[in-house]
Amino acid sequence: MKSPFAYQPRPRPLQLASPGAAVAYLGAIVAVAFLYSNPLVLVAAGVAATLAGVLSGARGAVRVALKMGLALALLIVVVNALVVDRGETVVARLGEWPLFGRVDVTFEGIVAGASGGLRAAVAMVAAAVYSACVDPDRVLRVLRPLAGRSALTASLVSRLVPVAAADAARLRDAALLRGPAAAAVGKAPLARRLLAGSLDRAVDVAATLELRGYSLDAPPARNRHRPSRYDRRFYAAAAVLLAAALVGKALGADDFNTYPSVAIGLGATTLTFSALVALSGLAPLRRRPKRGRPPSVNGPKIPLYVGKSSRRPSSSEVARV
Amino acid sequence: MSELAIRRGAAPALAVRGLSYAYPQAAAPALEDTSFEVAPGEFVLLAGRSASGKSTLLKAACGLVPHFHGGEIEGGVRVADLDAIAAGPGELAAAVGYLAQDPETQVVSTTVAAEIELPLEMRGDAPADRARAVEEVALALAIPHLLDRTVDTLSGGELQRVALAAALVTRPRLILLDEPTSQLDPVAGDELIWLLRRLNEEWGVAVLLAEHRLERCLAAADRVIAMEAGHLSFDGPPPDFLAWARDHDPALETPAARLFSFAGIDPLPTGVRAARRTLDNCRGEGGTPSERLVLLGQQNLGRPPTPHPSKLSEEGVPPSLPPALRAKNLWVELDRGEDPRDVLKGVELTIHRGERVALMGRNGAGKSTLLRAAAGLHEPAAGKLSVESIALLTQNPGDYLVRERIGDELPGDGGMAALRIVGLEDKVDADPRDLSGGERQRLALAIALAGRMEGQELPGVVALDEPTRGMDHARKSELVGLIGDLAERGAAVVVATHDVEFASEFADRVVLLGDGVAIADGPMAEVLSGGWYFATEVARVLDLPGVVTPEQGAAVLREEGP
Repeated sequence: MKSPFAYQPRPRPLQLASPGAAVAYLGAIVAVAFLYSNPLVLVAAGVAATLAGVLSGARGAVRVALKMGLALALLIVVVNALVVDRGETVVARLGEWPLFGRVDVTFEGIVAGASGGLRAAVAMVAAAVYSACVDPDRVLRVLRPLAGRSALTASLVSRLVPVAAADAARLRDAALLRGPAAAAVGKAPLARRLLAGSLDRAVDVAATLELRGYSLDAPPARNRHRPSRYDRRFYAAAAVLLAAALVGKALGADDFNTYPSVAIGLGATTLTFSALVALSGLAPLRRRPKRGRPPSVNGPKIPLYVGKSSRRPSSSEVARV
Repeated sequence: MSELAIRRGAAPALAVRGLSYAYPQAAAPALEDTSFEVAPGEFVLLAGRSASGKSTLLKAACGLVPHFHGGEIEGGVRVADLDAIAAGPGELAAAVGYLAQDPETQVVSTTVAAEIELPLEMRGDAPADRARAVEEVALALAIPHLLDRTVDTLSGGELQRVALAAALVTRPRLILLDEPTSQLDPVAGDELIWLLRRLNEEWGVAVLLAEHRLERCLAAADRVIAMEAGHLSFDGPPPDFLAWARDHDPALETPAARLFSFAGIDPLPTGVRAARRTLDNCRGEGGTPSERLVLLGQQNLGRPPTPHPSKLSEEGVPPSLPPALRAKNLWVELDRGEDPRDVLKGVELTIHRGERVALMGRNGAGKSTLLRAAAGLHEPAAGKLSVESIALLTQNPGDYLVRERIGDELPGDGGMAALRIVGLEDKVDADPRDLSGGERQRLALAIALAGRMEGQELPGVVALDEPTRGMDHARKSELVGLIGDLAERGAAVVVATHDVEFASEFADRVVLLGDGVAIADGPMAEVLSGGWYFATEVARVLDLPGVVTPEQGAAVLREEGP
């Protein structure tokens, strides 16, 4: 089964943009998340990353990344609450714990953890959108003149990972299909077998690279420029976002304190900047071309499509003996 | 020699002189004193049994041997006037393209366009040249619509074409292909062979093609080279090769040639067209009564194949045999990371114990999915599926072998009983890696059978998914024997296969799947004589209902009637 984070070409602005433009745009969202601690701004950055993914057709990647990101955020909240005992509002006294010592859970510790967790979640969603929407071949081609061997290694790994995943799925199936009297296959023999198979695969792929001329010491090829009408939009969005982030920071949009007591600034600057960050998620919105209206015709309406399909039984009719 | 001189054909595309080669730590050399040439623009077919040295020879011609594999090499190999032993595969890449059996490991990029462009990028070609070369090779191979796709969304046939495009994009003088059709269905396999012929004729690319299914490509070849235990055993035109194979190695004969051999007709045909022409000539000369019978069959030419909707399970199987597998309106949905889609769409099928069933159809028609659903690996989305008990051997027998001693894979009495069924009870202490390909397949089958037998009674269904990939005729014959044995012991043997000739040898019934639906289901001879692609070579030559094997065809030709 294909990973939801795997790149999938789609005729959407983010996929059609050059890697530089896409990375600048998504990078700006992540930069905001790392520059700011105010939860409202962080939520806005999360909304922007989510919107960008959804508008680019990467719903699956966003959904999984949100689940993983929120789970990570929860973990950070719990760890921070247990480790940090600063703050005035104690919500639970948990006594003496081995290694931790005296554990007092404070409201301020929980909020600080939530802020850090939100930041991690935003970064994960943005990374998932990048992975699903930016062609790794084009990125590696940009990197190749800078670090040829590293780019090639990354390229090989990106190819071998799905091949190894397919091999693992096959081996799992074969293990399930073994007769009851055959020796059971534990995880260790299966992993050993997968490793041996992966090495064989790697040798085959390396042979292919040899045949493609990898060992030639040819001068690095210049990149083929593929024009995109969306580049300007993403560069502009990134520039506006970063400039606004710096100005907002100077004007106090990141007004947020956790210790000794929680104070979240919700002034006009913060609200305006948060709205701007959230709206930046609309940058990948596809503008549909205007169509001319057909001349009106007086007459009966004709259905555009009439189809018939073979009937598939409802799930209630499913039976397995 | 100048590039222009090479292009004009002054140098052979490939020249092999006294080539001997042994892999590192190998007991015997893979090639011994081999010499031959391939002229520019020539289409040469490399024939021979498994392990005869065909693949090694191809690897030597593209520089992988000895540069990548190591070992000891003697003699000389020149490709378009380049010394292949001195130059590495990278340097040879501009002069020779190589396509191996498994397309999965021949792609290294994420998208098709990037994959095709990679060799030109490695060579340092300018962006404009690369763009044009990619466009042209995509057009030549009819894959421009695939350029923006990711490689993991392609079918086996599409992936094979993409790998071929990447091998051809540098416009090499020679293309080497190692069983490129072994994983393709008959339609995609035929398309690939004729595509090669077209490239050979229009671009002047010399082709050296190693294949086991000679009937598929003999007609396209200018010349055949046969190998035996690392030696060249034959080198000549296809008709002479068939005469040689009849006398020296009948396993290499094509079905149409066997038909003519059995019927005593000369010359032996290189393909369906040549066979029909010979039979037409017999008619022109007056002809014998048997030839007039052939004539009757040939009147069917030009008519579309007759569908055979009969159900053997309802008509041909004795009622005493219980059903081992029954599917009623079976739907199976698969989700491969994109939109989920129905792979089986209301399959109706009943298979009884003792039947030998060939499950056929294009890549993606649903053959493997049906077997996997029967084995419980996929849940039906709708409908009913009942299976008495099943042992399924998937496409890669090696996946079942995880230990270093056969006795450790199959311990106890249950394991020994399974080993006895497949005839490996004497090899309990052997390492599975030391077994031959056929023995490994039988061992994997024993692992699937172990504990599913009651005493010596086999499970209701023994299913094999594409078991003949990369097999030569001798190993296929062994497998036919094993299938017959399993069926005689009472199991229903269901084999998903693309190999029409193999199906005609083992099956008594053929179920043809098309886009998730059983579109033909009937006695083997009836189904395999009623089409163009899913028909044996003999059936396509004679076009007589029910005549599919060389023996049947020869009997018809000799005895004036079926």
